[in-house]
Amino acid sequence: MQLVINALIAGSLAALIAGGLALVYGVLGVFNLALGQMVLVGGYATWWLYQSLALPLVVSVFGGVMIGAIVAWCAFEVFVAPFYKRHRFLPLVTTIALSMMIDGVLLLLFEARPRSILANAKTIVALGDARISLEQMFLIAITFILLCLCAYVLHSTVIGRRIRAVVQNDHAAMSLGINAPLLHRMIFIVSGMLAALGGVFIGIDQNLTPTLAFPITIKAYAAIIAGGKGNLWGAIICAYLIALIEQMVVGIEWFGAFYVPAGYQQSVALLFIILFLLFKPSGLFMLKNRSA
Amino acid sequence: MSFAFLLHGVTLAAITLPTVIGYNVVFGKGKVFHFGQVGLSLIAAYPLWLTIVHFQQNPLLGSVMGMVFALLTALLLAWLSFRLEPDAFGVMSIALHLAILNVILNWQSVTRGALGVPRIPRWEFMATNGIFTIVAVLVAVAWITFIFFLDRSRFGRALAALSEHEWYAESIGIRRRMTHTLAFLIAAAGAFITSMFFPSYLYLLSPSDYTFPSMIFIVMCIVAGGPGKVLGVTLATVLLILLKEGLRIIEIPWVMETGIQFVPIPASILGPVRLILFGLILFAAVWWRRDALFPTERRV
Repeated sequence: MQLVINALIAGSLAALIAGGLALVYGVLGVFNLALGQMVLVGGYATWWLYQSLALPLVVSVFGGVMIGAIVAWCAFEVFVAPFYKRHRFLPLVTTIALSMMIDGVLLLLFEARPRSILANAKTIVALGDARISLEQMFLIAITFILLCLCAYVLHSTVIGRRIRAVVQNDHAAMSLGINAPLLHRMIFIVSGMLAALGGVFIGIDQNLTPTLAFPITIKAYAAIIAGGKGNLWGAIICAYLIALIEQMVVGIEWFGAFYVPAGYQQSVALLFIILFLLFKPSGLFMLKNRSA
Repeated sequence: MSFAFLLHGVTLAAITLPTVIGYNVVFGKGKVFHFGQVGLSLIAAYPLWLTIVHFQQNPLLGSVMGMVFALLTALLLAWLSFRLEPDAFGVMSIALHLAILNVILNWQSVTRGALGVPRIPRWEFMATNGIFTIVAVLVAVAWITFIFFLDRSRFGRALAALSEHEWYAESIGIRRRMTHTLAFLIAAAGAFITSMFFPSYLYLLSPSDYTFPSMIFIVMCIVAGGPGKVLGVTLATVLLILLKEGLRIIEIPWVMETGIQFVPIPASILGPVRLILFGLILFAAVWWRRDALFPTERRV
């Protein structure tokens, strides 16, 4: 039970980040390797607003997400927009450059020390023989609400239909009057906001450190690739699956003889995905593009 | 100041060049989206030096172990590259690197985790820094010459043709699997050569020298020097290493003893500043070479 709850907590965070990214990949066809840094920007900005400026938590979280949106917008205009129409692989390299710069700035501003948005002790609730904090329950609930909202927007609104049209065929959608470049910007900013919210959750549930960025990015992309690139729901399901694998790797007594040390959690999950992709490279839920 | 700094810079450039030039074959010439080169160095360095230092075995056996591990990992990467879309392969090659690094950091009973492996020996005839530099330079020159002629051989032309248009290249009899596998093996050999020299130069095998920023540095050398260009990448690597070492020179104990402070910045600021600076250089290099890095496919 505790393993499932832990997987739900870690999976909710990963799903939030991977969901936004899957949309970006589906719409723009580019990978953003500065994603982990955008997560940290949201977390650190919230920490700064709450701890240093002593603003109320809700205002700080809102401010953190807005700063995340602004950074994502600037990143799109400078590091993605001038490149992705030339070759869709170029932003992968330019966002690596961006990730280095953000890492440097975060280290200069906040140093390498761990930072926690809520420094006080958390309220723990017992669910049977498992334990979960109120903040973690809140994280799971918010992620669930956001995913439902995302499903509603994508499947029941005009803007959702436009997004799906651009995902299926960019040029065909533009020929029908859909402003694809505007949608590209919007989607990138929304993914930045979701990433920033992920950073807020990390800052509330655990600690923020600059070294977190790359593992977050790689795990989110592993979920996208394993879920079938561009498939939003595939990415979200795989984010939860990866979290479950990570928890099972360290939480189960293997062959009744030994436990895998917690430090190997990430490696085992990544190696498992690499092996899985060797045999099913299209991922679990590959979508087929329509061609004109 | 200049001689000690120059000797250190030249040595490091000579040590780094084999892996950069090897990687240039895959990423620069072949345009294969591979970001696992530092992972290859890592998987070559640890078996090599652990066999010699931890298990007290013959250096020759250590070298064989390092080479075998590097080549097997290169084959795995090549296989992965055939199975996945190019960008997905790029991300998964980073994942493989992170997974290997994570195992090394956690397998403390053998690798000593983040502390690294100290007392890495040098060959007796390379005990002094001067001789070490000469040997490293000679090996680097031999490797660059080999890659230079390989670049102009049938293999180089096949690799270039595949990077321009895979289907057309295959239609004229170029075998992608064979060519790309060979390219990955060359990259692994380059990584192995660097792994032979680098830890023994520092007398320390530290996992912190094999993190993702090291990979970014290699990518930056390729992009700045011109992807696929052997001499351009060589020049860019030498210049960027001189810049990088110029910035960090205050951290090197034996240089500090000489009283040299190339850039008087506190160490806590130096690291982040270097990240920002190299990020800017990489971005500027990509901007400058945005048409050459991933050229549009030729059409008939």
